[in-house]
Amino acid sequence: MTLLALYLLALLDGLLCGLRSSMGRSAVIRKTGYYRRAAFQGVAGAQVISTLALMVLLVVAASSSHRDAVRADLEGAASRMLWVFVPYAVLVLANLALRLVPSNDIRSATSVFMLGPLTAIRPLVMIAGVFYGMFSSRLLETRVLGMFVLLLMLSLEFALNRRADRRQEREIRALL
Amino acid sequence: MTVFASWNPTQPEITDLIVQHDAWTLERVKVRKLDVLDTFSRYSNGQAMRAVKQLPEREGFLDEKEIDRHLLKVHWEMQRLAEEFYHGHRVWELLRVVIASIRHAGVRQTIRIVDVGCGIGYVTRWLAANVPLRDYSIELVGMDLNGTLINEANRLAGAEQLPCRFVQGDAFSKEHSGHIFTSTGVIHHFRGQGLPQFLGRHEQPETQAFLHFDFQPWLLAPVGAWFFHFLRMRTAVARHDGVLSAARAHGARTLSETARNALPEFASGIYGAKIWNTPAPRVFHTLIGLRRPLVEEFRRQLGRRRSRLGELR
Repeated sequence: MTLLALYLLALLDGLLCGLRSSMGRSAVIRKTGYYRRAAFQGVAGAQVISTLALMVLLVVAASSSHRDAVRADLEGAASRMLWVFVPYAVLVLANLALRLVPSNDIRSATSVFMLGPLTAIRPLVMIAGVFYGMFSSRLLETRVLGMFVLLLMLSLEFALNRRADRRQEREIRALL
Repeated sequence: MTVFASWNPTQPEITDLIVQHDAWTLERVKVRKLDVLDTFSRYSNGQAMRAVKQLPEREGFLDEKEIDRHLLKVHWEMQRLAEEFYHGHRVWELLRVVIASIRHAGVRQTIRIVDVGCGIGYVTRWLAANVPLRDYSIELVGMDLNGTLINEANRLAGAEQLPCRFVQGDAFSKEHSGHIFTSTGVIHHFRGQGLPQFLGRHEQPETQAFLHFDFQPWLLAPVGAWFFHFLRMRTAVARHDGVLSAARAHGARTLSETARNALPEFASGIYGAKIWNTPAPRVFHTLIGLRRPLVEEFRRQLGRRRSRLGELR
């Protein structure tokens, strides 16, 4: 259950990373299709990361001489991570939901006062969540795996941004 | 120190300098990179100098093609801010009231709305995409001196089959003059005597109103703009100019008093300065001007939004 929750949070994070990396890179007015593709790419990126992390987890668990202990330690670490990631996700989703209110001021305010700062602290939240998860873990395997997952999570937005930037460069070069 | 030097409102923005046109022929003029750097060096503006140094050059002159590509990138980014601030909705919210007031005064012909310094024409294209222009009998024209931005605006409008057009040229010339002039983030570019001269040009026979949206200056505006541009903008030029724009913005009193002096036939004032009648300022405020016979109906048409209107005289 804990792993499933982390997986869903990773997909949500990927979706939002995909949207963010596409913003400001298309100047048409009707962008529903454009954003849908960007969100899909973000989710696909998060899926790749999650699969990779799961494979490494399975390899670690299979090759360990104390399999049950590793499993319990990993579950404990993952549960603790949720204490950081879930409130962050709830804050983000609540602010996105606020944008449904038909007021330009409220919608803009969510950008300026909440979604902007929440985007800024995303890497810190990732680091804090993973470190909090690993804080009381007893095994080296859990710590190494945690660092590996953190690295993957942090590289997702970077990779999506780079890809979107290259696409934009190509598009502008084709125009001029 | 560098950060604050880049907030000095007396200096120009990078985009004011890296693209220049002959005032009469509108032909592109070559820009020497060293001249741009010298300008910012006089203001000890290290941030601007670093941004300009990154721009490609050829034999000492800024590479026009590369600059144009960069400019498009910057304007695409700027559109994102307009989208986040629901700027199209905000413009239409006020524009529809102005249009209703003009109709009430008996104007029956198509109302031409001219977007001055439209860039890639976000506001005009947004209106074209979201407003039933035929029902309102309005025509949308975006104007800018920069040919690259106008070409891009036309391309984007064409790609979505939007009923609007964009023209490179002087928005206040006789052949392009409009019933309503509007602009976004443009008016702070007119400084000193340039501001009354710009506003004075609205005095045209058919012109009924103008709406100029721009940053609202207040103590924390440059700090807020810095933070927001740091998070949202990707190019050094956009990060620099966005914040400097907020620092250069004219205050409500300067705008309304200058408009009143330059355009005595219009009632001028500020709309939308505060959020919900609280002391909290909106990011943008609007300099609004109306032919005097329109004022009473305009106030009536505003309805519950009337409280957003400052002194209109």
